Amino acid sequence: MISYRFQFLITLVGLFNLVFSAGDASLVNSTFNSTIGSVEYYDLTNISYTSGETKTFYFDVTYFYASPDGFNRTVVGLNNTWPCPDIHVNRGDRVLIYVTNKLPDQNTSLHVHGLFQHGSAQFDGPEMINQCPIPPNETMLYNFTVPDQAGAFWYHSHTKGQYGDGFRGAFIIHDDTDTEVWDYDEEVVLTISEWYHTLSGVLDKSFLNVNNPTGAEPIPDNLLFNDTFNSTWQVQPNTTYLVRIINIGAFVSQYLYMEDHVFTVVEVDGVRVEPNVTDVLYITVAQRYTVLITTKSDDSQNYAFVQGVDEGMLDVPGTFSHNVTNQIVYNADAARAGDYIIESDDYDILDDFYLQPLNKEILYDDYDYQIEVNVTMNNLGNGVNYAFFNNITFTPPKVPILNTVLSAGENATNPIVYGTNTNSFVLKKDEIVQIVLNNQDTGTHPFHLHGHTFQAVIRGPDYSDEADPIPYDSSNFTSDVNDYPMMRDTFYVRPQSYFVVRFKANNPGVWFFHCHIEWHLSQGLAIVLIEDPEGIQSDSRQQLSDDYKRVCEKQGISLTGNAANNSVDYFDLTGENVQVAPLPDGFTARGIVAMVFSCLAGVLGIGAIALYGLSDIKNIEAKVAQDLDLNIEEVEEADENSSVTEIESSGPNSKK
Amino acid sequence: MAGKDIFNVEVFFIVFREALEAIIVCSVLLAFLQRSFSSNTDARVYKSLRKQVWLGMAAGILVCFILGGAFIGVFYTIGSDIWSKSEDLWEGIFCLIATIVISFMGIPMLRIQKMQDKWRVKLAKSLLEDPHKEKGWKRFIKIGYYTKRYVMFVLPFITCLREGLEAVVFVGGVGLTSTGSNRATGFPLPVVCGLICGIAVGYAMFYFGKSASMQVFLVFSTAVLYLISASLFSRAAWYFTNYQFNKATGGDASESGSGPGSYDVTKAVYHVNCCNPEIDNGWDIFNAILGWQNTGYYSSVICYNIYWLVMIVVLGLMWYEERFGHLPGTKDTHLRDLNPMFQLKKKFGVVSDLSEAEAEALVEKVHKVKYNENGELIVEEESQEKEVEEKSAELKQVQNVNVEAK
Repeated sequence: MISYRFQFLITLVGLFNLVFSAGDASLVNSTFNSTIGSVEYYDLTNISYTSGETKTFYFDVTYFYASPDGFNRTVVGLNNTWPCPDIHVNRGDRVLIYVTNKLPDQNTSLHVHGLFQHGSAQFDGPEMINQCPIPPNETMLYNFTVPDQAGAFWYHSHTKGQYGDGFRGAFIIHDDTDTEVWDYDEEVVLTISEWYHTLSGVLDKSFLNVNNPTGAEPIPDNLLFNDTFNSTWQVQPNTTYLVRIINIGAFVSQYLYMEDHVFTVVEVDGVRVEPNVTDVLYITVAQRYTVLITTKSDDSQNYAFVQGVDEGMLDVPGTFSHNVTNQIVYNADAARAGDYIIESDDYDILDDFYLQPLNKEILYDDYDYQIEVNVTMNNLGNGVNYAFFNNITFTPPKVPILNTVLSAGENATNPIVYGTNTNSFVLKKDEIVQIVLNNQDTGTHPFHLHGHTFQAVIRGPDYSDEADPIPYDSSNFTSDVNDYPMMRDTFYVRPQSYFVVRFKANNPGVWFFHCHIEWHLSQGLAIVLIEDPEGIQSDSRQQLSDDYKRVCEKQGISLTGNAANNSVDYFDLTGENVQVAPLPDGFTARGIVAMVFSCLAGVLGIGAIALYGLSDIKNIEAKVAQDLDLNIEEVEEADENSSVTEIESSGPNSKK
Repeated sequence: MAGKDIFNVEVFFIVFREALEAIIVCSVLLAFLQRSFSSNTDARVYKSLRKQVWLGMAAGILVCFILGGAFIGVFYTIGSDIWSKSEDLWEGIFCLIATIVISFMGIPMLRIQKMQDKWRVKLAKSLLEDPHKEKGWKRFIKIGYYTKRYVMFVLPFITCLREGLEAVVFVGGVGLTSTGSNRATGFPLPVVCGLICGIAVGYAMFYFGKSASMQVFLVFSTAVLYLISASLFSRAAWYFTNYQFNKATGGDASESGSGPGSYDVTKAVYHVNCCNPEIDNGWDIFNAILGWQNTGYYSSVICYNIYWLVMIVVLGLMWYEERFGHLPGTKDTHLRDLNPMFQLKKKFGVVSDLSEAEAEALVEKVHKVKYNENGELIVEEESQEKEVEEKSAELKQVQNVNVEAK
């Protein structure tokens, strides 16, 4: 299926307007089946920039119907088809993508995940951060180069949960040295994701809802494998495949396991690493693993390729299959492989923290600037469950951050102009930045930084069983730190634990840092890094394109101004978007009124009971006597003897 | 929860109340006997009859315990499965049942002599009625139909059994409100305490007469009972609101402790992230007696206030009726006339609307009742027979006169 998928894509070229202006610089790179190279030290960062070709793509974002798992639903596709095509370019190419929003009822945007976007922050994609959302019937050209990166990337909408509806695909950057570094015969792309049967907009409404106070994420309906279900991968014996595995999902991490085969990991998130052999891969959404898979010489049998969901991320198990067995088919006539279930305890699962980049970039020995953030999830005054970095849930500003950077002049270095509710941090040029992230939530979260790969310095163990989250303690720094730390752009933190990452602020731009679980992003789990704002202002490439300006104009969004859309006084944030007020802490005025009234009612009620009860007490003796039918006369006579005066005072009518 | 696991306050008061009522039944019967034998000196029969009363009561309570234990056992075994799913709904319903029960049975405790009057008339009727005069099936439910000989045993036995079973049903129902589907551990202690207190108060009343301090005690316990009842009413509303919320959230909320997400913010008047009666020790007692919840919903707060408002109005009307003999603004309307159940009973003749004079006459009659040496009732049957004989004799005479005239 994978190989088929790839060939299918070739046919897409003509069909779906994937026009290559550079002529026949073919999508099917001839190097794919080229000769075998040897694994050797290779430093990507020192590659001289090659002047590549220009590759142009036309993305008409359209609704389409698709049933990848047998259930027909509306999807967001490209050029009236779905799945979205894989994009293949070469390192050094200029990429032009014309995105036309043909969805009648929602905005769109495009983000190519993992690209550095040097000098082209305006084409990074996140709406209201790097651009204005593209309204219906509007086109925006994304124009960028890929000079210094190669490997597996992917593209997706950065508008709300839109990519969960299907607007996502692989974006592979090939490099001339691929075949020198790795020994493989054929290259294939393998995307995995979870899949819903309901449109994300509908799910989002019930997710961010007072009736979902725990913020329970919607449960997927299936797991997809190359956008199909229970797939088949036709393989040749004695062949080594370079497989680009990309989790293009929006929520769950997945385990991948092959019966009697192993993965040799050679690249993660566009960073080549020392080969590492493993049985099981654990891939969060947005992560990529390029692996070598060598097939057997015996083609008499077929094998299982199992994908399993990380059940710890599901609020409730739901009704979908948590383990999907796909087929590695050597022999179509042989029996299919039996179903497999991944029990994560049974296998040696790759811990990406210990991977080592091939370029052996040494750990930054110290940092200049530290951002420490605490992840929490909580309810605000409207009863909706939100996600917070340092008690701030990201609330989009009225003007995209990039517009503010470019219009604020010298004030751009002051984070206040980006608003109080955007969690914005301003970074100085070339400083070493350390992000310390304390996960006070009980879930696993994959965090993604735009515009960079970062060094994974520390990742704490799973503290699920602790009563309270364990924050990062800088005094433990030396333990378990790698000299050549693993680098990637999407890194997960374990439950109630922490991680520490470092990067050099050498890429001026506005970069979003957020949880890549779309549900959590919609809950506001994001911060914004404004890197070298003066460097952005002074770079002619960073000036806004005509398309960009027109899109903003169509949306009625200002090109200048602070977060509150104030272009006069950048420090006046009156009217900025802010998060919902918190739930009241304890008693409010109405609570006190309710309490006072209830207490009063109780006291008055008891008073009424007492008054009624005691009003009976008059001539009680006589009543009791009568009631009990005691021989009262005799008793009283006995009493009278002892209290003569009373009898006398009771007058002549008293008893004899 | 811990508090409720040991001592269920509602259960205590219900048992206390029913025990008191059983004691009153016995005291009334004993008083009847005392009057009947005041002129008679057959001490042997008197003693034997008194023994029958006590034995009847003891037997009634014993049987009631056995039946009640079985009932509650079955109730909980079956019940826990049925209402574990929509716990909040059932808790709300049982809170509502409990509050209705307590509301109607609480106030009579303040007028203990009325309770005694009621029983005097009831028991007098039971003693005097000739079941053989009843037509059709009705006579089979009359006690006297089966025995005259052990009437002084059977009467308290049946009465205690009935009162006791009533208590068991309420205890079973009320017990279910104590959060959670299976919390029967909170029963034994309050049942025992309720029995002891009820018997002690009844005994004190019987032997020392009703004193002011007794009345104060009754007022105090009634006040506590109504505090509980008001809290139950409020809790019923609270549970219904929470049930709706749980239904909307898919049962999420109950898992989220006492923090945000555990309650419906749109309906909350106040909320504190602590002091949860279902989780935190101590607050459950506060909840049982005063209806405390760490989330105050509009419904629960309003219901609490309305409950007291209605109570105050009803007590005011009762007081007025007692004082002036009728309800304010009317001439001859009584509170019980407003009760649809009373109208229904009246229609089917279940309630005999005896006048005071008739009731007094009935009681007087009982006092004149004679017992033979076996302790059997004899007097009124004879007198009735005599009456019949006399009447038939008169008839004969008249007939004779007529014949003669012809």
